[in-house]
Amino acid sequence: MGARRARGGALGVWRVLLVSQIREQPARPIISVLAIAIGVALASAIFLVNGAALAQFTRAARRLVGESDVVVRGSRDGFSESLFPLLARNPDVAVASPVLEIDAALPGRPLPLKVLGMDPLRADQMQPALIAGVGAGILDLMRPDGIYLSAAAAAQLGAGRGDALAVIVGDAPKHLVVLGIIPADVYSQPLGIMDIASAQWFFDRIGRLNRIDLRLVDGRDPDAFRARLQRTLPAGIFAIAPRAERDRAATATRAYRVNLNMLALVALWTGAFLVFSTQSLSVLRRRNSLALLRALGVTRAQLERALTAEGALWGAVGGALGLGVGALIAALMLRLFTSDLGNDQLRIVGASLAAQPLALCAFFAMGVLVSAFGAWLPARAAARIAPARALKGGGGAAAVQSTAGPWLGVILCLAGVGIAWLPPVAHLPIFGYISVAALLFGAVLLVPPLTVRLLRAAPHSGRVVLDTAIAQLRDNVALSTLSLASIIVSFSLMVAMAIMVYSFRVSFENWLTRLLPADIELRVPIGSGTSYWSPEDQAKIAAVAGVERVEFRRTRQIDLAGARMPVTLIARDLTRAQAATILPLVRTVHGAAPPNARPAWISEAVADIYGYRPGGTLMLPLAGWAHRFYVAGVWRDYARSGGAIVIERADYLAATGDSTATEGAIWLAPGQDGAAVVAAVHKCFARPDSLEIRTSTAVRRHSLRIFDRAFTVTYAIEAISVLIGLAGVGFAASSTALARRAEFGMLRHIGMLRGQVIRLLAHEGVVLSTLGVLYGMTLGVVLSLVLVYVINRESFHWSIDLAIPFWQLSVLGAILVAAAAGTAVWSGRSAVSQDALRALREDW
Amino acid sequence: MRGPSAAAPAFAAALAFCAGHALPAAGARYAPDTAYAAVMPGAVPTFPADYGSHDRFRTEWWYVTGWLKTASGKPLGFQITFFRTRPSIWRENPSAFSPRQLIIAHAALGDPTRGRLWRDQRIARAGFGLAQADAGDTRVWIGDWKLARANDGAYHAQVAGAHFSLHLTFYPTQPPMLNGASGFSRKGPDPEAASYYYSIPHLRVGGEVVRSGRRDAVSGEAWLDHEWSSAYLDRGAIGWDWIGINLDDGGAVMAFRIRGANGTVRWAGASLRDSGGALETFAPSEVAFTPLRQWKSPRTAISYPIEWRVRVGARRLTLRPLMDDQENDARRSSGAIYWEGAVRASEHGKPVGRGYLELTGYGAPMRLR
Amino acid sequence: MAEHAARADHTAATGTALLRLERVSKRYGANRPAVLHRVDLEVLPGEYLAIMGESGVGKSTLLNLLAGLDRPDSGRVLLDGIDLSTIGDDETTLLRRRAIGFVFQAFHVLPYLTVRQNVALPLELLGIAQSARRARTDAVLEALGVGELAQRFPRELSGGEIQRVAIARALAHRPRVLLADEPTGNLDPRSAVQTLALLRMQVKQDAGAGVLITHSRAAAETADRILILDAHGLKAEERA
Repeated sequence: MGARRARGGALGVWRVLLVSQIREQPARPIISVLAIAIGVALASAIFLVNGAALAQFTRAARRLVGESDVVVRGSRDGFSESLFPLLARNPDVAVASPVLEIDAALPGRPLPLKVLGMDPLRADQMQPALIAGVGAGILDLMRPDGIYLSAAAAAQLGAGRGDALAVIVGDAPKHLVVLGIIPADVYSQPLGIMDIASAQWFFDRIGRLNRIDLRLVDGRDPDAFRARLQRTLPAGIFAIAPRAERDRAATATRAYRVNLNMLALVALWTGAFLVFSTQSLSVLRRRNSLALLRALGVTRAQLERALTAEGALWGAVGGALGLGVGALIAALMLRLFTSDLGNDQLRIVGASLAAQPLALCAFFAMGVLVSAFGAWLPARAAARIAPARALKGGGGAAAVQSTAGPWLGVILCLAGVGIAWLPPVAHLPIFGYISVAALLFGAVLLVPPLTVRLLRAAPHSGRVVLDTAIAQLRDNVALSTLSLASIIVSFSLMVAMAIMVYSFRVSFENWLTRLLPADIELRVPIGSGTSYWSPEDQAKIAAVAGVERVEFRRTRQIDLAGARMPVTLIARDLTRAQAATILPLVRTVHGAAPPNARPAWISEAVADIYGYRPGGTLMLPLAGWAHRFYVAGVWRDYARSGGAIVIERADYLAATGDSTATEGAIWLAPGQDGAAVVAAVHKCFARPDSLEIRTSTAVRRHSLRIFDRAFTVTYAIEAISVLIGLAGVGFAASSTALARRAEFGMLRHIGMLRGQVIRLLAHEGVVLSTLGVLYGMTLGVVLSLVLVYVINRESFHWSIDLAIPFWQLSVLGAILVAAAAGTAVWSGRSAVSQDALRALREDW
Repeated sequence: MRGPSAAAPAFAAALAFCAGHALPAAGARYAPDTAYAAVMPGAVPTFPADYGSHDRFRTEWWYVTGWLKTASGKPLGFQITFFRTRPSIWRENPSAFSPRQLIIAHAALGDPTRGRLWRDQRIARAGFGLAQADAGDTRVWIGDWKLARANDGAYHAQVAGAHFSLHLTFYPTQPPMLNGASGFSRKGPDPEAASYYYSIPHLRVGGEVVRSGRRDAVSGEAWLDHEWSSAYLDRGAIGWDWIGINLDDGGAVMAFRIRGANGTVRWAGASLRDSGGALETFAPSEVAFTPLRQWKSPRTAISYPIEWRVRVGARRLTLRPLMDDQENDARRSSGAIYWEGAVRASEHGKPVGRGYLELTGYGAPMRLR
Repeated sequence: MAEHAARADHTAATGTALLRLERVSKRYGANRPAVLHRVDLEVLPGEYLAIMGESGVGKSTLLNLLAGLDRPDSGRVLLDGIDLSTIGDDETTLLRRRAIGFVFQAFHVLPYLTVRQNVALPLELLGIAQSARRARTDAVLEALGVGELAQRFPRELSGGEIQRVAIARALAHRPRVLLADEPTGNLDPRSAVQTLALLRMQVKQDAGAGVLITHSRAAAETADRILILDAHGLKAEERA
C-alpha cells in the first residue's frame, strides 16, 4: 500500500514536471527528441543498409553453396577436372557437383559477370533452389552458347530472353544467347548459369574446374572428411566448410561494415551529449520549481526518478522517430544508390530491407538509455541540492557540476593510450575503438578543470565586454562545459577522420605515382578471368612505333587458404635489385638471401592475414604444385584488399609455362605522342574492347575519383555529427541566453547598448568555441593517431603515412567558431529584444 | 511403351532440340547434330549385340517390372528402369562434360501390406565412367545404380534409394519376345513413329530388398522390356495405357494403346505368347482397353482408371491392382505424374497371371514441349 | 486635473527639470485599458520624490518610461531636456548610461562578478580609466559601508549587503537621477530602514534627483514629496 502510494506520488511529480516543462519551453523537449532521433536514425539507417547488404550476400552465398557438406575450391584458374571423378567415386561422397566459376569480362562494362558453369543434373541435388530457378529449361542449357541470367544480371545488362550477350574471351568477343531469366526471388545478385560443358568450351577452359561441391553419405562427419581430404589435395586447392564459403564475401567487407557502424554510433553518442546538455540546462532552468517541489515534500529519489523518466520519455519519442526516419533513409539509399556505401565489394542489387527487430529494438533501447542517462546525471545533482539554497536562487552551477573528478579523466586518457597498443581481436580493431572511446570520455572529463584553469589564467583586458564575458564563462564553467562537450566530441572526431582520410589520400597518391611510372597503362578488361594476351599479342604491342619499352605483367588469383578471399599473384619483370625502386616497399630483408631462392614480395595484407614475415618461406600454388618462394620484402598495396604477391615473371614462366600477360606498361620514346601510340596499340587487336588502355595520368585521376567517392559516406556522417554538435552549442547558447534575460535586462538598465549585450554573447561564443576547437583539434590529432596507426592498419591491412591537413582544419575550426558566435548572437538578439525586456521587467 | 512417362526429361530435351529453338542461332560455328539413326521395318534385333545400348538412336530404355514375395509370403511389386537419351547437342564440344548421352533411372517398390510405395530416381550425363550405357550387352549405370547382364544371361540389378534398396538378379527362363513385326513396333498412324522393342517375360527373381532399414530375402517373377527409337511419339498423343502380364501358364501378354485428345485412341498394339512359345501379334483393331474403376489420388486429385478389362484378340483379361495408390510423382525431374503399378490379371473370374499396368496423361496431357 | 496636481507647487524653484513627462499615455494591447493616461511629471535637480501606488497601476511602466526603456504611445519624455522620442535606442541608452542609476527590488547584481567589478561596471561602460574607476568604486563602497566586501562575490553576502552594493553601483557614476524600484521589497525592516536612509543621503549628497517607487508608506515618507499613482493618474499627496 505504502509502496503504491509512493509510486503514485512519483507519477504525480512526473506529470507536474512534464506538463510544466512542456508549457514553459516547448522547444526544449523537441531538441532532445531531435538529437536522439538523428543519432538513432543514422545508426539504424547504416545498420539496416549494412544488414540488408549482408543478408543479401549471405542469402546469395547460401544459394550458391546450397546443401553441400564440403566445398573443394581452387583459385580462379582452377584445377584439372580429373579430380572430379576421383571425388565422385569416393565412398564417403554421395553427390559430387563440378563447377567452373568464371568472371566473364563484358565489353564496355566496368564489372565482370559472375558465371557458373554447372552440371544442372548434379547441381539440382546441391543447389535445388537455384536450379529450380532455371526451371524446366535445365536441359536447354546444353546448348553450348546458352546462358541463363539472374534477374539482376538481366536488368543490369539490359538483356532479355533471346538476346545475344557479348563476352570477351581471350582477346576476342564472343556471343552467348540468353535462354531465360532466373527470377529475382531465387537469386538476387547478378549471375549467369551455363552448362559446365558449354562453359569449358566457350571460355576456353576445357579440362578445368575450380570448384567441386560435395554432399557426403549420411552419417559421415564433414569436418573429419574435410581434414582427411585436404591432405590429399594438390597445392592451392582447399576443402572448405560451407559456412566458410558462405562467409567469404562477408568477411572481406566486415572491417568496412564495422567501421560504418562505429561511425553511426559516434553520431548516437554525440546525440547523447546533446541530450545531456539540454537536460542539464532544463534542470537548471527549473531549479526553483524543483526546489519548491522538494520543499513541498517530494523526496529526493522521487525527483530523481521523475527527471530521469522524463529523459527516457524524450528518448523513447526520439528513438521511435529515429527508427522511422532511419528505415526511410535506408529504403531511399537502397532504392537510389544500389547502396554500395562507396565500397565495390559491398555492391548489392535489389536488396530489400529485412526487418531486424532485435537490432532495431537495441537501437531504440540505446536511444532511451542514452537519453535517460543524460537526464539522470543532472537529475541526481539537482535532487541533491538543499531546497532552501535552490529556492534562494543559488546552486545553479552545482546542478550540472561534473561529479567525476579530473582524475578519472586522466586515468581514462592514459588507459586509452595504453589500450591502443593491444592486438586486434578476430582481425577487427576492437581495442582501437575502445581506445578512441576512452580517450574521448577522458578528454571530456578533463574539460571542466582545464577550462577553469584557462579562464582563470586569462588576463584582464580592460575591455568591459570581453572581461564580463570571460567572467561569466569562468563562473559558469559547468554550463560552459556542457556546450563544450558536444562541440569537442564532434569536432575532435571530425578532425581525426579528416586527418586519417587526408593521410590516406596523400599516401594513396604517392603510391599511385610509384606504381604508375610509365606513360601508358594497359590491361585486359577489368576483373576479367577470361581474357589475356598471347605472346604474339605482346610482341605486336612491343612493336608499335613510338614505344620505347614495354613491360608485361601476368596477374592471376590464387588461394593461400580456402576460407579467405583469393590473393592476387603478379608476375612482373623485375629483379631483386630493382624491387626497391619499383615497389613501394615498407619492409625489406636485411642481409643475404638464401642462394637459389626465388624472391616474392608480399603486400601488407598478405603479411597480416597469413602471418608471413620478411625472410621467411612462402609456398605458392602454381600449376597444381606448391613452389617454395622466399619473402624478400613487404610492400604497400592499396588496390587489392585480399592481398597481393609479386614474383619475377621468369620464375612464373618456369613454374607454369604460361607466357600470357594481362597487364602492361608502356614507356614512350622521347617526343612521342601518347594518343597516337594508344590508337596504334588499339589497332593491334580485332576489337577495341579487348583491352583497356589509358595514360597513367588518367588512371591516377580515375583512381582518386574512386577514392573520394568511397569516402563520401564517411564525410557525410562526420558532417552530421558536427551539425549535431553545433546544434548543441546553439541550443546551449540560446537557452542560456533565455535564462539570462534578467541579467541582460539589468545590463541594459545600467546603460549597456543592445549591441554591447549581443557582443557580450558573441564574445562568450567565440571564447567558448575557440576553446572547444583548440581542445577538439588537439584531441582529434591524438585520435587520428589511433585511427591511422591502429584502426586503419588493422581494418584494411595497409599502412598509411600521417599527414595533417593544417589548412583545411584551420578553415573548419574558423567556420565552427564563426558558427558558434553566430548562434550566440542570434540567440542574444531575441533575448534583448524590446519585448523580452518588458517580459523580464514584468517577471520581476 | 511405358518409357515416355518416366523419361520425360529426356524427351523434353530431345524434342526441344529436335524442334529447334525460338532463339536466334548462334552463328554458323555451332550446329546441333540432329542425325539420329532411323527405326526401319525389317531390321530384326540380334542377340547378344542388341541387348546393349544403341547410342545413335535418340531414346532407349531397359525396364524391369515384377512381383516379389518375402519369406513370409507377403507380395511386393517393383520396377527398375534405366533410360538413355541422346540430346541433339553440338557434338564438336571437346569437353568431357559434353552431354553426349543422358542416363536416367527410376525405381519403385510397392508394399500393399503397409500400403507404401517407395520410389527414387537418378539422372546424369554419361561420362567419366560415372554414368554410362555400354554397347554390346546390357550394362547401364548411374553411380551405384546399375543393371548389367552377365555372361550366363542373368541380369544383376542394384538400386539404393531413399529408405529402400533393391539387390535383385533376374534369370531368364524364356527367350526374348519380339514385339510388333519381329521387333519393329509401330506407335502411331505415322509409319515413322516406331521403335525396336523386345520383352523378356517370366524372369525368375532372387535377391533381397531393404525397406526402411529392414532387409528381406525375396523371390518372384519379373518382366523386362528393352526398346529403342529415334521418333516414336505420336504428336497427337496425350497419354497411354500399357500392360505386361506374366500368365500363370507360362504365357505372356503385352498390350498398349496411345490416347489422343477427347478420348480418341490413336494407336494400339499387343503381343501374346502362349505357354508353348507361339507368338501372336495384334493390329490396333484387335486390342481394346475398357476402364472399370476409378481411383482418385488424395495428393494430386487426379483420377486414374486402375481396374480394366483388356481385350487382346480372343483373350479378355480383367486387371486389378495390388494396391490402389501406386501413383508416381516425377514432377521435380520430368514434370510427369503417372500411375505405374503391380496388377493381378483374371479371366472368367479366375486368376490367370500377374504383371504391371502403366497409365499416363490422366492429369494434364503429357507435355513433351 | 492630474497634471495640475502633479505640478503642485515646486515648479519655479530650480529651473529646468531633469526628467519630465508631458501628457504621456501608455497602453499594452488595443483592447486593454490604458495603464497611464495623459500623465505629467517633473523631477527637478536635488529633489527626492516618491511615487506610491497599488500593484498594477503602472508604477513600473512609469519607471520604464522615465528611464527611456520604453516609449509612450503619446506624449513626450524629456531626459535632461532631450526628447527621447526624437533619438534612437542607442542614444537613449548612452543618455541613460550617463544620467541614470538604477536600484532594483531584486538587487540584480551580476553573480559572476565581484562586488567591486559590479560597482565598476557603469564606470567601465563610460570608459573611465582604470585608476579613476578604482578610486571612485572604493569610495562609493566605503561610503555605503561595504568597503571591506569589495573582493567578495554577491552570493556570499546578505540581502542588505547586496542592496548596498546595488546602490553603490547605481551611484558609482554620479548619475543625475537615481531611480529606485521597491529597493526595500526584499529586505528585513532593519536593513530597509538603513537602505532608505542611505538612498536619501546619497541623493542629497550628490545633488542629483531621486525617484523612489514603492507601495510602502514608510518608505515613501523618506522622500521630499509623495505622488500617488492610481487609475485616474498621478497626483500629489498632501503631506500630513
